[in-house]
Amino acid sequence: MKTITTFWQLLSRYLRQQKRDLFLLTGALLSSICLQIVNPQILRFFIDMALSDDVDSGQLYWAAGAFLGIALVTQVLTVAATYWGELVAWTATNALRFDLAAHCLQLDMRFHKKMTPGMLIQRIDGDVQYLSRFFSRFTIMILGNSLLLVGILGALVWEEVGIGVGMGIFTVVTLLILVRLRGLSIPYWERYEEMAAQFYGFIGEQLAGLPDIQANGAVPYVLNRFYRLNQKWLPLFHKARLSSTVLWGASIVLFATGHALSLALAAYFWAQGELSLGTVFLVFYYSNLLIKPINDIRDELEILQQAEAAIQRISELQGYESSLVVADETHLPAGALGVEVVDIGFAYEDDPPLFTNFSWTLPAGQTVGILGRTGSGKTSLARLLARLYDPQAGAIRLGGVDIRRVGMAELMNRVGMVTQQVQLFQGTVRQNLTFFDETVDDGRLEEALKALELWEWVQKLPRGLDTMLGADGLGLSAGEAQLLAFTRVFLKDPGLVILDEASSRLDPETEALLEAAVTRLLTGRTGVIIAHRLATVSRVDRILILAEGEIVEEGVRAELVDNPDSVLAGFLGAGQASLDEEVTA
Amino acid sequence: MSGKKSTVNTRHLLWRLQTYAGKLHLVDIFFWLLIMGLPAAPGLILQGFFDTLTGESQLDWSPWVWIVWLLVAGLARLVALFAGRWTKSQHRFIMSSLVRHNLLKQLLGWPGAAPISVTGEAEAAVSPGELISYFRDDAQQAEDVVQHFAEVVDMGLFALGAVIILVTVNAQMTALIFIPLLLIVGVAQYAGQRIKRYRRAGRRATEQVTGLLGEMFTAIQAIKVAGAEKPILAHLEVLNDARRETMVQDAMFSALLRSVFTNIVSLGVGVMLLVTATSLQDGSMTIGDFALFVYFLEFVTTFLGFLGGLLATYKQVEVSFERMDDVLPGVEAAEIVAHSPLYTNSMLGKRRTLPAIPQPDYGGDNRLERLVVRGLGYRYPHSQNGIEGIDLEIKRGELVAITGRIGAGKTTLLQALLGLLPAEGEIYWNGARVAAPGQFFVPPRAAYTPQVPQLFSQNLVDNLLLGLEADEGLVAKAVQAAVFEEDLRQMPAGYETMIGPNGVRLSGGQRQRLAAARMLVRRPELLVFDDLSSALDVHTERLLWERLWGWRDERYQPTCLVVTHRPLVLARADRVLEMVGGRLV
Repeated sequence: MKTITTFWQLLSRYLRQQKRDLFLLTGALLSSICLQIVNPQILRFFIDMALSDDVDSGQLYWAAGAFLGIALVTQVLTVAATYWGELVAWTATNALRFDLAAHCLQLDMRFHKKMTPGMLIQRIDGDVQYLSRFFSRFTIMILGNSLLLVGILGALVWEEVGIGVGMGIFTVVTLLILVRLRGLSIPYWERYEEMAAQFYGFIGEQLAGLPDIQANGAVPYVLNRFYRLNQKWLPLFHKARLSSTVLWGASIVLFATGHALSLALAAYFWAQGELSLGTVFLVFYYSNLLIKPINDIRDELEILQQAEAAIQRISELQGYESSLVVADETHLPAGALGVEVVDIGFAYEDDPPLFTNFSWTLPAGQTVGILGRTGSGKTSLARLLARLYDPQAGAIRLGGVDIRRVGMAELMNRVGMVTQQVQLFQGTVRQNLTFFDETVDDGRLEEALKALELWEWVQKLPRGLDTMLGADGLGLSAGEAQLLAFTRVFLKDPGLVILDEASSRLDPETEALLEAAVTRLLTGRTGVIIAHRLATVSRVDRILILAEGEIVEEGVRAELVDNPDSVLAGFLGAGQASLDEEVTA
Repeated sequence: MSGKKSTVNTRHLLWRLQTYAGKLHLVDIFFWLLIMGLPAAPGLILQGFFDTLTGESQLDWSPWVWIVWLLVAGLARLVALFAGRWTKSQHRFIMSSLVRHNLLKQLLGWPGAAPISVTGEAEAAVSPGELISYFRDDAQQAEDVVQHFAEVVDMGLFALGAVIILVTVNAQMTALIFIPLLLIVGVAQYAGQRIKRYRRAGRRATEQVTGLLGEMFTAIQAIKVAGAEKPILAHLEVLNDARRETMVQDAMFSALLRSVFTNIVSLGVGVMLLVTATSLQDGSMTIGDFALFVYFLEFVTTFLGFLGGLLATYKQVEVSFERMDDVLPGVEAAEIVAHSPLYTNSMLGKRRTLPAIPQPDYGGDNRLERLVVRGLGYRYPHSQNGIEGIDLEIKRGELVAITGRIGAGKTTLLQALLGLLPAEGEIYWNGARVAAPGQFFVPPRAAYTPQVPQLFSQNLVDNLLLGLEADEGLVAKAVQAAVFEEDLRQMPAGYETMIGPNGVRLSGGQRQRLAAARMLVRRPELLVFDDLSSALDVHTERLLWERLWGWRDERYQPTCLVVTHRPLVLARADRVLEMVGGRLV
């Protein structure tokens, strides 16, 4: 029952926009079903006429012509039905793809840590493809063919009540059995598809990591994994297909039984002397005619079977909820945003807690440099500020407002973040900077690029802003990619800017060049700068040193530098011994 | 990338596919001969039944015997069906697996850092997400066409039998009906080119959608912090619409072609009606002959439909083969269907033993004395970036550091040397010319840690070893040298910790150090690091170098080639080379 509700929800939601096309599609399909009954009648008329004593050859030619005409019309209707069916199906599935993609985009990072992009492609594109036919013709075919069945059974009852009732019972039982068997293979296909998603996830990862694989001599290992995945996949394929065969096999046995039944009934009534030989023929003919609609219904149910498995996976995907509860109750104040972290507790899923009762504040308009070893919690703190995760306890306030009470879009617009890993898309430089937003005008882009002294570089590209970048920023150096990521933040007007080891991939000269730009970006804004290199945080107002989720030291940078007992001064002192330019404070 | 357009001989490729699991293929064809042929039996049984009723039968059976036979024929078909589905599943899986295997194998041999692009089309770099559609859809197409071909062979045999019988009954009539067949073949040949065009456009549009989905979820964090969900989704919608348009066109055209096929057949029936109108009247044709024609015509009709379908599928697979050939430049098209072991489970589900993963040969003479590079150069396609005229000499045990501004070509130099880019120039290992750097620079001779290492969604130790057989002591030593032992201790699951897609559950520094451990555990003669400092803090990196140096003993004396900006490394280096604009200065 639950699945039926889901079906109706999907159908009504995604077909509502397409009433006209749906109407035309219904017309074409139902007409071609009607013509299926008419054409055999013409054939019968033709034979009767040809065999009768007073042959009217004019009528014979008329019948032959009508047969041809109807065949032609049927074909036209078939093509028309295909056109409208495909149109309806693609419009509906595309809308569903869009909704699923939108849903997954808003899911939190916990979800994305579990799913490879390859798996999500299979869910959003592969699974939705199964629904194509379900959207376009499922309901119409089921309804139309049911009508056809009723018509044929009516004709049989008209010839001989006993035969009509017998065949009626047969039809109902057959359909019941076939519907019953329908659900049998769903779990098997589900397991098969899960494996498929895993397989394509594997392929995607290997292709993304070709240099790592090759230069570490792991090619044979990857092939070995391929074989092992195949060995796990094939049994699932066998089981899934075999479970579908049960439905097919059942219909073969049922139809053989149906044939036998119709002949037995006919033979019985013929022996009673209640039927002419001609009627026996007709009974057999009509019983035979029952097969096609039952088969069509079975076909549709089989497609439904695949669709059902896909629908289950889709609703499973839709069922994931972001653990970030988004409220849109209030707004952030304009201008620089002060940061208040109040008594938070946080852990990544099953990991031990990273922060317990952690509190920290940063006044609006000031910049802080966060230092600490890997694993000290620097990056996690940045992620919490950008609300990629929510703390399990406590609260984070920006500009005095709890970030959980602000709409996600607004928050993201007011918090700019550059991370070490820059993600670029296969698209033009412009598309990469604006994330395909075409409303951003060139003037703003130029301004941002000039601020970063990137404008000259862009103009040297073969097609300027419209130069295509390969997937993953092919053809760009890591530093160039990083500069593009900076430009992305420049394009927003954030009140809080977080640079998470953002300059780590830049050489010292480029980093120095960027410094002026960073300073400009941070003017009038609050800044959080996370870095390994002390030089990177040489211009900040405050320093926060973390270790294992706890504050080791916090204070005004200048004061800490002057205090010989401070940890920072210790760092600087240690640095001075061996790293000269890292301490140009 | 070479502009050459190789010609793909589809017929030859298909033949190679069909002969891969030849015996299984023949057995499968036999079962399907039964499955498709057994429906003919009821026709003969019916004839017997009606003859018995009218007393014309030579056999002295009661009508009930015929009815039992009808049921027996149904059961026989059922048995054949289950056997045939089993062999078909096995065969189908093997066909697409072979194509997927060969695709993967060839891509693994492709210089891993060079962009994978489609031959002849400028700026058509293919992302991993797009490549997945080759593994999914194009492999499926190859699987389908082989099955389609087998079905046509089976049905063709029956159709041939039917035609022979018909010719003996009435040759003139047979000719009238089968002349359209010649027309069909002509139409299909003519239409083939257009099917291919639509199919190509459809595939391309699909790739773009899956490509965007893949990039979208790879870059999920960047999108989230940029708050760029809306424009990205708007772009998805644009690609979705383009895909719908091409797909509807493709489906329409296929449907039109199919309807032409069936129409020509209906025309045949119409012609038959017209012709028999006179022959039935003058008695030159009996009603029995007429029934026979109608009955067998169904066989031939279905066959023609299948044949038409095969011709269309054939054109489609031609597109698939060409696409796969395009994405593998410099590789013979025949490699796509090359016969290679797949280690698929046996028909009875028994797993075959996989070959042992080849291990680096530490016993051989791989000692590095001197590495000389002459005139190394590489230019990225459609870009001015690259390196040229690199001369370099490294002696045993040296630490050579490369430094320079972003975009100077440091990473390109490493990748060109390791054969990860198809570079020009000469490389000498102990004076001997290295012919294929990609295959040569693997453990035990060399290993590599990229600037942004790629990890795989397996557990930690699998990521570390990638199939390498190493004892616990060595693993622990590598982990320690890479300064990863503390992180490992904090993970409850230790070596078994699942690290998520691309190691997303680890921090940037952990990923980098795990990748370093992955390199070190292979004990290569030449260690190639690309900018470790980008994700490691000073203390950690210093520790790493100290431990690595501490590892040196008489048996193991690695030579290091390192891209870095870190003063601490530059100070330690035996030589520091600076790159400017793709050249060493």
